[in-house]
Amino acid sequence: MQEILTVGSPKLTRPAVESKVKVPLIEMKSLTKKYGNRVAVGEVTLVIYEGEFVCLVGQSGAGKTTLVKLLTKQESPSTGHLFVAGRELAELRDSEVPYYRRKIGVVFQDFKLLPQKTVFENVAFALEVCGVSATEIKRRVEKVLDLVNLTRRRANYPAELSGGERQRTAIARALVHSPKLLIADEPTGNLDPVSTWEIVELLYRINQKGTTVILATHNRQAVDQIQRRVILMKSGKIISDQKSGKYVI
Amino acid sequence: METFGRIIRLGLKNFWRNNWLTLGATLLMTLTLTMVSVSLLVTFVIKDTATLIREKINLTIFFRIDKVPDQKIIALGEKIKTLDGVASVNFTDKTAALAIFHRLPNVNDNIKKQIGTENNYLPRSLEVGSSDVDNLPNLALQIGAIDKGKLICSDCISYKQNKEIVDQLIRGTRALQQIGWMLSLFFGIIAIFNVSNIVRLTVAARSDEIEIMRFVGASNAFIRGPFVVEGIAYGLLGTVLTLLALPALVMAISALGVGGEIGQAFTVLGVDIKGYVLNHLPILLATQLGLGLGLGVIVSLVSIRRYLRA
Ligand SMILES: Nc1ncnc2c1ncn2[C@@H]1O[C@H](COP(=O)(O)OP(=O)(O)O)[C@@H](O)[C@H]1O
Ligand SMILES: [Mg+2]
Repeated sequence: MQEILTVGSPKLTRPAVESKVKVPLIEMKSLTKKYGNRVAVGEVTLVIYEGEFVCLVGQSGAGKTTLVKLLTKQESPSTGHLFVAGRELAELRDSEVPYYRRKIGVVFQDFKLLPQKTVFENVAFALEVCGVSATEIKRRVEKVLDLVNLTRRRANYPAELSGGERQRTAIARALVHSPKLLIADEPTGNLDPVSTWEIVELLYRINQKGTTVILATHNRQAVDQIQRRVILMKSGKIISDQKSGKYVI
Repeated sequence: METFGRIIRLGLKNFWRNNWLTLGATLLMTLTLTMVSVSLLVTFVIKDTATLIREKINLTIFFRIDKVPDQKIIALGEKIKTLDGVASVNFTDKTAALAIFHRLPNVNDNIKKQIGTENNYLPRSLEVGSSDVDNLPNLALQIGAIDKGKLICSDCISYKQNKEIVDQLIRGTRALQQIGWMLSLFFGIIAIFNVSNIVRLTVAARSDEIEIMRFVGASNAFIRGPFVVEGIAYGLLGTVLTLLALPALVMAISALGVGGEIGQAFTVLGVDIKGYVLNHLPILLATQLGLGLGLGVIVSLVSIRRYLRA
């Protein structure tokens, strides 16, 4: 809640990224995804290191979502290679994919919460379907709800929440597996500027705790606020990659 | 097995959620299982009667002269055994004949009382089993020829009466059986369409949930589980309802059978319908369960397959 109070004067200076030993988490080599003749992602070569915060920006249709889908293995590359934590995703067997997905958290523009479940139940669902015991679920859900500042709203249904709270619930669900990587695809697309600011701050905090974050967005406010690596896409290609950037097209 | 409990709970929730559709699917499932059960029963009856009667289509040679000693008859039997086309020869002595007579279902008790160990008028007999039913007349002639001691009285070789009854019986029940299987197929196809439509609806209604399950890392087995449970529920409930409908079913068969071929079949079998159904309950139940569960599970798996790709 403290963040909201300071919204009028957002701190625009972030501590610089410490230069630790860099361990690659994601490697793309000439990664290409075509839908028929349409090239959604074309020849992308790129390395993302552990602990990084990466903003993936570009106008609608630039290929951000397709890149996210390749990362979550919802789609398979047409050509090229994609490694996550040293494993080439194309080589994962079907039975391994669920276990891979437990190691990455994903957040979407439309939240994807179940309307008939409370905040607590929505977050718990991610653990239930993976066979975690009830006591362990309670412990982990409470911890993550505390992190996203939703403990007070735990018994509420999504319809009773603000957009920002819904997205925080979705983030809590994405984090409940303690993933190494959090991918957020337009998480602020349905949010007002205040909620946007709040969500970006939360993502920043999550990154500070060690989780690698990829934020795909075309929201200038969010990118300028975070002041981290910015990768700009256009027509499926990377046209700029700045270490600590602002949103420019 | 907390996971197992979760899957079952999710599945049963699905099952109860859309109650009208559930009712329709369950009724169709019941109808199918009922038709299959009836057809199966009729098939069993036909098979049993046919075997029984086929065994009865043999030559029975009666020996009305009680002075002839058993040994001579047995010796004649041994000779008959060497004839071509004879499969078996059985000797029924007076005691055995009495026992059989007292077991006959369609003989009045008063008449039964008049014949006992003291006043046993029943003839001894040789039952000659033949591997070729059509060869019986010829066989009768051959037996007459080897009966050097003239033990066999005239008109004491019988085979004709039975054969006609059998032919008539089998023709009648065949028709019934065919109608039964056709109805089974008809309702079966409707049930498959219906159950698959309903499961597809529940799958579609829960496509959001399936999508979420997928990106939070639920295994395909876990995602499939609740829908398989739902399919099992249709099969189980269908079986239970079919079993409850069984008394009505038995009465229907009885009604159909009054004066008809089925009734005759049961007379030949020497049991009543209830007893027969009761005897065949295990196999009926197994068929209903197997078919119901199989249908439910396969339909569920097919309906959800589309959502589990990629
Ligand atoms: N499933 C699909 N079938 C065909 N074309 C697609 C599909 N998904 C995305 N595209 C196309 O790929 C391009 C990139 O889309 P997308 O990755 O969604 O962009 P962004 O998320 O940056 O807005 C667009 O031109 C889009 O029309
Ligand atoms: Mg997009």
